[in-house]
Amino acid sequence: MTALYAVVAIAETSLIALAMVRLALGPTVSDRIVALNTAAAQATLGLLFFAAFADRSIYLDVGIWLASFSYLGTLIWARLLERGLL
Amino acid sequence: MTTEVIVAILAGVGWVFSLSGVLGIVRMPDVYSRVQYSTKTITMGALPALVALVVGEGPVTQYGGRALVIAALLGVVNPAASHALLRAAYKSGVPQWEGAVRDDARARARKSASR
Amino acid sequence: MTGFWVMDYLCLALVLAAALMVVRIRNLAGAAMALSAMGTVLTLLFVVLGAPDDAHSEAVVGAIALPALYLIAIGKVRADVRGPGEQGKRRGPDDMDARR
Repeated sequence: MTALYAVVAIAETSLIALAMVRLALGPTVSDRIVALNTAAAQATLGLLFFAAFADRSIYLDVGIWLASFSYLGTLIWARLLERGLL
Repeated sequence: MTTEVIVAILAGVGWVFSLSGVLGIVRMPDVYSRVQYSTKTITMGALPALVALVVGEGPVTQYGGRALVIAALLGVVNPAASHALLRAAYKSGVPQWEGAVRDDARARARKSASR
Repeated sequence: MTGFWVMDYLCLALVLAAALMVVRIRNLAGAAMALSAMGTVLTLLFVVLGAPDDAHSEAVVGAIALPALYLIAIGKVRADVRGPGEQGKRRGPDDMDARR
């Protein structure tokens, strides 16, 4: 069972590399933000399965932080692009 | 043993969805197409993987409970943030792909302006 | 046991790629986004190395707060420069080229 969790964690984490291709290539900042959201979601999944693999439940809180607040940059950029920050 | 098989199948389905979503983000031509993969396909890839964790560890353990919390967060925050981003990108004039055939928002704005 | 090592080197490679991207991207907001990606992957690396407290602080500061602060700073600077304009230039898609 733990070997299965390790395989799933590695597989979900390795998809970040493909998202980083778009993060490097993206012509506009919005493309980069889309790739960043994908990378954050995949990192959260990899983190959860790594926590199940390592059998440490304290690692899960980091995943909750990443899942709930990694979209803050997106919202700030959207507001900045739409009407300015002030 | 059967639990392991179920976890493997659910995680495999989720991984295939995530792979197709990431490939779509790499391959699609403009931001309005890429956001489709960032919201729908990635969420659809995350949910079976989280369900696999819930099945593997049980729903009332720490792993299963937090996997459910993360599933709820991902289902609420990801579409809201992507909607805000795409609305701002459209209003600030990020160009569409040259091969795009229709633009419903611009057509609707023109119709309401001419009326 | 090999799972730890594979995750370790995978996260190291991703951190290296993201850090190179921060330096190479010639766009301030895009570089801030790459910095956020580097913070996310570095969080994963800290968790793999067995330091969840550092991972907490890295997730809050490196992946969330620092790029948000950079974006706010970039927006404030450009908001001062751009404006409705000394040249009477309309705020439109032409002078938004650097931002989007």
